[in-house]
Amino acid sequence: MSTTRRLMARSVRTLSPAIAGVIFIVLWEVLILIFDVQKFLLPAPSAIAEAFGSKWSTILQVSWVTIQAVLLGMLLGTGGGILVAYLVSKNESVSGPLLVIATALNCAPIIALAPIANNWFGLTSIISKASIAGLMVFFPVLVNCTRGLMLIQPLHRDVMTSYASSDNELVRYVRIPNALPYLFSALRLGASLSVIGVIVAEYFGGPVKALGVFIGYEAALSRFDSAWAGIIVASAMGLSLLGIVGLIERLTMPSARNSS
Amino acid sequence: MMQESAQRAIEIDSVTKVFEAVGMEPVIAVQDVSISIEAGEFVALLGPSGCGKSTILRMIGDLTAPTRGEVRVHGKSARQAREDHDYGMVFQEAALFDWRTTARNIELPLKILGMDRSERAMRVQEMLELISLTDFANHYPWQLSGGMQQRVAIARALSVRPKLLLMDEPLGALDEMNREHLQNEFLDVWTKTRTTTVLVTHSISEAVFLANRIFIMSPRPGRVVKVIMSPLPYPRTAETRRDPQFFEVESEVREALHGVIRDKALDV
Repeated sequence: MSTTRRLMARSVRTLSPAIAGVIFIVLWEVLILIFDVQKFLLPAPSAIAEAFGSKWSTILQVSWVTIQAVLLGMLLGTGGGILVAYLVSKNESVSGPLLVIATALNCAPIIALAPIANNWFGLTSIISKASIAGLMVFFPVLVNCTRGLMLIQPLHRDVMTSYASSDNELVRYVRIPNALPYLFSALRLGASLSVIGVIVAEYFGGPVKALGVFIGYEAALSRFDSAWAGIIVASAMGLSLLGIVGLIERLTMPSARNSS
Repeated sequence: MMQESAQRAIEIDSVTKVFEAVGMEPVIAVQDVSISIEAGEFVALLGPSGCGKSTILRMIGDLTAPTRGEVRVHGKSARQAREDHDYGMVFQEAALFDWRTTARNIELPLKILGMDRSERAMRVQEMLELISLTDFANHYPWQLSGGMQQRVAIARALSVRPKLLLMDEPLGALDEMNREHLQNEFLDVWTKTRTTTVLVTHSISEAVFLANRIFIMSPRPGRVVKVIMSPLPYPRTAETRRDPQFFEVESEVREALHGVIRDKALDV
């Protein structure tokens, strides 16, 4: 009795977002019909689906170009952030001021650099897009990782001292495991930031076959349903990336409390 | 064997510890304390909070350096003893590593010691049996109760077979029922291993039940005001708590402690 109830509760919990999504799309369709909303304001879901149906091969092609830049940016930003955080955590007198600077830079609109990056690395280069995404990922990873490496429990430090452990052992057995949850919360942020970075950078110009260029081009030609189809694929890209980060988190941190 | 017992396990020689912070009056946490402890003893440092008992423990364990005076452990400096892995330490909080299972928590000091894998596995198994947590080997700390966590902390401290076990209010965070239960377990483990143990506590009954010698301390500045020998024979059991002799020692300790607090009140 109680197990069936628990099963039902679980299926309600997993199904309810899906049901909410369906209701949302139906409402969207109906409201646009009722109020006769113009296409340039907001196309109906059916129109977007139709546009996707007729242009799916182009959309997938441009998405592939974009996702490469997103992944490269994610990789560069994460790698760079972790590396600098590690070096910084080795020297406590440097880490304090550097964290302040990094936090300040983290607030700067890095995306504003996109036209300049296009000049630096070339309009059609994947590097000009990945570097923007990379920078956007780099700062949260740097700030969070440094915190995670530095903010270990004083008692954990005492325990390790009582073992006469070396600095490297402290890093390996305490600082790094302590920093992992901080890293993953930065990566969850980074998943959406890197997609934003690449798409917006592509709005400022890029290879013809890129998702951001596609969206901008279709919108400029008043083909709003195609533009919206592109936007939805971009959102799916961000969501999938978030899912991958979550999966890696689960695999690397089996001890996490919420892994049920 | 004879030689080892001739050498003091711990020799604290007129140690003073002053804490200084910018913009604050210096605080004399410990003043001119001398204590010597023989190998195989179970000693308690007992006193009200702020009497410097934890500071003394930290100086023995080389987590804090004395301002004046000297701590020698088996004839070595405290630092040398720490580097020789002579210590096992247990703190008020279990301070287990959340990302390691029970078994892997107990294993960590062995790994740092450089013991090979098969030997480590055997030692971990032995420790799990000692604290009766074999069934919880693969649980993470947050899946254990507070008392279980503290038992793991003790197993972790004892896994390297330290010459000295230093415990800083290890049961302070537990409720009365769990405390008594764990005190019995402590004694069990100690009777089996006979590891020289220094226990910091503010519980009179805990000190009387566990220790063969009790150092009574006064607060600010921390000093040893009285040493009470407990004539209660080991092994002590739950029965010991009902022994008239237990009450005698307990009231002697209580009187000494109240004397400390009364004197302090008159000072002010």
